[in-house]
Amino acid sequence: MPKSQYIDPDKMRQAGEIKFTPIPVNQYKKSVKDELKDKNFTKEDLKRIYHDMVVIREFETMLNLVKTTGGYKGVEYNNPGPAHLSAGQEAAAVGMAYNLTIDDFIFGSHRSHGEILAKGLRAIELLSDEKLSEIMNGFWDGATVKVVEAGFKGSVKDLAKRFLVYGAMAEVFARVTGFNKGLGGSMHAFFTPFGIYPNNAIVGGSGDIAVGAALYKKVNRKPGIVVANIGDASMACGPVWEGLVFAAMDQFKTLWEGDMKGGLPIIINIMNNQYGMGGQTCGETMGYGQAARIGAGVNPEQMHAERVDGYNPLAVIDAYKRKMKVLEEKNGPVLLDVLTYRYSGHSPSDASSYRTKEEVEAWEAHDCIKGFAKQLIDGKVATQKELDEISNQVGDLIFDIFKLAIDEEKSPRMDLKKEPGLIGTMMFSNESVDSLSDAKPDVNHPMEENFRVQQIAKKERFAFDKDGKPFSKMKQYQLRDGLFEAIIDRFYKDASLVAYGEENRDWGGAFAVYRGLTEALPYHRLFNSPISEASIVGTAIGYAMCGGRVISEIMYCDFIGRCGDEIFNQMPKWQAMSGNVIKMPVVVRVSVGSKYGAQHSQDWTSLVAHIPGLKVVFPVTPYDAKGLMNSALQGTDPVIFFESQRIYDIGEQFHEGGVPEGYYEIPMGEPDIKRKGDDVTILTIGSTLYPALQAADILQEKYGMSAEVIDARSLVPFNYEKVLESVKKTGRILLASDANSRGSFLNEMARNITELAFDYLDAPAVVVGSRNWITPCYELEDAFFPQPDWFLDAIHEKIVPLNGHVPSRNFTDAEQLRRAKEGI
Amino acid sequence: MVTVVIMPKQGQSVESCIVSEFKKKKGDKVSKGDILFAYETDKASFEEESQVEGTVLDVFYSDGDEIPVLTNVMVIGNEGESTAEFNPNGGGVHVSEPEPVQPVKEEIAEVKTEDIKSAPQVQTLGEKSIGVSPRARALADKEAVSLSDVQGTGPKGRIIERDVKAVVQSRPKMTPLAKEVAKETGSTPQTGTGLAGKITGADVVSKNPVYSGDFEIKPLTNMRKLIAKAMHASLQNSAQLTHHLSADARRMLELRKKVKAAMDKGVGANITLNDMVCFAVIKALKKFPQVNAQLLGDSMKYFNKVHLALAVDTDRGLMVPVVKNADDLSIQGLSNQFKEIANACKKGSIDPDLLAADAASFTVSNLGNYGVEIFTPVINLPQVAILGVNTIVPRPKDLGDGVYGFVPHIGLSLTYDHRALDGGEATRFVKQVAIEIENLEFEV
Repeated sequence: MPKSQYIDPDKMRQAGEIKFTPIPVNQYKKSVKDELKDKNFTKEDLKRIYHDMVVIREFETMLNLVKTTGGYKGVEYNNPGPAHLSAGQEAAAVGMAYNLTIDDFIFGSHRSHGEILAKGLRAIELLSDEKLSEIMNGFWDGATVKVVEAGFKGSVKDLAKRFLVYGAMAEVFARVTGFNKGLGGSMHAFFTPFGIYPNNAIVGGSGDIAVGAALYKKVNRKPGIVVANIGDASMACGPVWEGLVFAAMDQFKTLWEGDMKGGLPIIINIMNNQYGMGGQTCGETMGYGQAARIGAGVNPEQMHAERVDGYNPLAVIDAYKRKMKVLEEKNGPVLLDVLTYRYSGHSPSDASSYRTKEEVEAWEAHDCIKGFAKQLIDGKVATQKELDEISNQVGDLIFDIFKLAIDEEKSPRMDLKKEPGLIGTMMFSNESVDSLSDAKPDVNHPMEENFRVQQIAKKERFAFDKDGKPFSKMKQYQLRDGLFEAIIDRFYKDASLVAYGEENRDWGGAFAVYRGLTEALPYHRLFNSPISEASIVGTAIGYAMCGGRVISEIMYCDFIGRCGDEIFNQMPKWQAMSGNVIKMPVVVRVSVGSKYGAQHSQDWTSLVAHIPGLKVVFPVTPYDAKGLMNSALQGTDPVIFFESQRIYDIGEQFHEGGVPEGYYEIPMGEPDIKRKGDDVTILTIGSTLYPALQAADILQEKYGMSAEVIDARSLVPFNYEKVLESVKKTGRILLASDANSRGSFLNEMARNITELAFDYLDAPAVVVGSRNWITPCYELEDAFFPQPDWFLDAIHEKIVPLNGHVPSRNFTDAEQLRRAKEGI
Repeated sequence: MVTVVIMPKQGQSVESCIVSEFKKKKGDKVSKGDILFAYETDKASFEEESQVEGTVLDVFYSDGDEIPVLTNVMVIGNEGESTAEFNPNGGGVHVSEPEPVQPVKEEIAEVKTEDIKSAPQVQTLGEKSIGVSPRARALADKEAVSLSDVQGTGPKGRIIERDVKAVVQSRPKMTPLAKEVAKETGSTPQTGTGLAGKITGADVVSKNPVYSGDFEIKPLTNMRKLIAKAMHASLQNSAQLTHHLSADARRMLELRKKVKAAMDKGVGANITLNDMVCFAVIKALKKFPQVNAQLLGDSMKYFNKVHLALAVDTDRGLMVPVVKNADDLSIQGLSNQFKEIANACKKGSIDPDLLAADAASFTVSNLGNYGVEIFTPVINLPQVAILGVNTIVPRPKDLGDGVYGFVPHIGLSLTYDHRALDGGEATRFVKQVAIEIENLEFEV
């Protein structure tokens, strides 16, 4: 909502109509002869196109035979893993890759073997022998190339070809010598040195991630474009649509300044094989008729969309040439609908019961390889014999590599017996890096000139004066100031850092954390995103995969549901699935609400803490907020950073001397004792710390019990030592947070504490959470969220009876049983 | 006062019984010995007699009910007395909510025992909460508090730490030994006879006035513990047996006489019979290296030298010091060494290295002085044998030509580890010792 753009009612209310331009469909009409005459290709180029298609066909044929007959060319092998094959789609893949260099990144789907091979073969063609050797020998310290190098006497390019086919195949067969140590497998294989970025087993998964990669290229002034290879059926997925909308935001062309002005360098490449699993996207499960139509609904440029005949490699190459020019002119994004067809089922296990034999045979009669071969012969580019020769060579190559890739000695699997914790070491990269960019950060003014920085300088960094009297709220350095200081510091340190989300710019963030950043930063480092959480997080994932740092903000915690796949399936998985090739320096800021009812007041820490691969923190003091934000931004792992709307304005009440002005880090995973005590331990997550402290006051005053209050600060990782030490002293522990008690992460903590300190416990570890209801309105919240007297009730009922205490809430066993029975 | 009649426990495995018939019902007068009810297990039938006189105030079950053992069945007393609190089924009386104890300040020093005692009783008579917190259990174990004596004040009557602390506070202090003994016996001390009423080990041991006090329990000395461990281990871990054989002792006694005569003249050393036996043993060992050895699991350790250990009786207990390189010594030298180490043992100044079982290659244990005629010494592992030396007794011997006379013989008892040595070898060795004894030579 920039003030620079005036929304004029007179103009807005005028009558008129929206005009569309015609969308080209299969307009390419040239033959091989024409192209040779125009000197667009040499004969060698054309033969190479044929060769590359044959490589893909043979690779997929091999996998199909392994899956359906248990072997290939008489060598038995069983591959229990998935194989979503793309035989039939070779021209689309090779055509897509033909114009790309290693600076151009492709992202794929579950059906992307062909794209990996096409892009890889193209990279090998373009790279010098020297560079190829460097890449191969540098990858896993040469472990992969060693397997295909032994006894091989051919050229470096031929070796690289073996390396590519082997790296992909060994990955499909989950071998440790594969491109991703066998941790990615068929649906997730990739190889970044050739510009091949992650393929994605979630339909449409690349639809927003690839947009983030394009954002990275633009913001960090990196050469190249990004291609998102997604299926036709994925056009029905919300995150794909969100990615399109994000990619087509007006602001790139209207508000971004200088060299940043202009569209994202991305091609949404729909590999339209006309089926989504068993559903026909045209005629059954979608209504677009032709996928290219979608571009017209996205922006006035209609995303430069067109349908291309993906059964003719030259048609696809032609389209790419034209569309890459569009991107070069900063007129992206582009949408291509590349028509193709797959011969095998969704996977070899499906019987293709949803289509007729005649249909498959008809497409086979149009086969892209056969058709191109005919053109080559007709155009006198090659004889049948020469083409047969190519096929034979490729057949030998694939068979040779097949034997290597299934060899248990040369291509072993990860040895989890010998190294049982190996995958565990890959879940996080745990690096500490000041800046992920060598560039000078783009900023609008020196930090000390920033009005917010100047304002904070005048604040009291500790909540109380020397007599223990609190300063006024306005004077106190608040939690939001702690977050701001850590974030602005990183913006001035790391040129790759970008932040976006809803209301991030002029508004200063819905909770005023970013106030002042709009003035400090140009648009391309801080901007408003569409209200579209899947794209906010999904693009951050793509941005981070390419090597940049992101803070994406999704405002309310409750909106995690809108980016469920991105947070649960993408962000946590890619570090380990890549064999640690990829880092994921994304901080997702989520804010736990209150006052706003059932869909805006939930603490969902437990949901994200459940997912392996995410770090989860929830600071509730200014000191902790700044220190943990610094740690999160210094690291290279995905962090879900929880904040509480109850306490953005709270001052620092614990850290002696107040919040330090300089940079400091609080290590993730370390709980903090906020008050010392001897008789009972209270462990809290989130802003429940404050009611817990009130409860501790009452315990002391009314019952002479001193409570030790510990703030977990982090959920994942979590170091239990301090808590156990406390429990060994007190013998009693109560855990509390604002999360619903059922399935709360507190139960996990309680279980660990019970197991690890069982003999020291004087009572079971007791969990106090919110009720398993919808969150009611603000006026009724004290019946829902843990209140100070709930702590006393729970202690009285379950830990140690308090003399004269009359419980206000029902914490009896019978009530516990009743609630569980009724599911509330 | 009311009396609660419970379902008796008939045998270890019986969990519940069925009442076949109530002979008395609510309101009936009963005398001592009256049958109250008949009941049965799956194996037998029984009748419960009244132990008191009074009126049946309440019966909590009906004919045919299955009742868990040790559960309250009926109450006998005087009319008007309350019974509801004994009803195992609750009976509408609020019994489950524990009333809180007085002060909840958690400093144990400030927990007043009286307060805890005066806290309302949570459980009904005859019922005991099974709940004990792990922390309370650990403390009770450490402080030797019997949990059956503890009144639980936690939720639902659970015994929690403060309850055990209250018991510890309320009883006299206990010596560590008293705690140890109490843990063993499970009995809880009431009063102490030690300083300031401290409970000592003796207080804990027995409550029987007739038999108490006729013994004293003392902890083992470390020395005793070591001996106990070594001896037990020896018998546990090896295959020991003993061969007995005797040697003609005339030569020895003759030499001993010479030694004494010389000493009377003030010359020569006091070479004892034991010195002579040991001297003979050393000579025999040189001929039987397999006996001068240690067994180390799968291998044997053969010594080039003889390191002879000698069992010495001291006030502190058995000690077995070694004389290193005993085969290098003359009999006088050996004798001197023995005296030196024996004295060192008795004084307690012995070098501990010389007491180690693996420092010696063979051991001699001489009980001859005490008149022992035959015994089975215990091997000092890892050595493979030990020679027991017995007293000298006259034995009939063929003196030739059908003439028999009584000749002094010294008994030799060789215990050996059959894992290391066979019977033949052992016999030949002990026979060799006898031969050496019979042919002993040395300058007095």
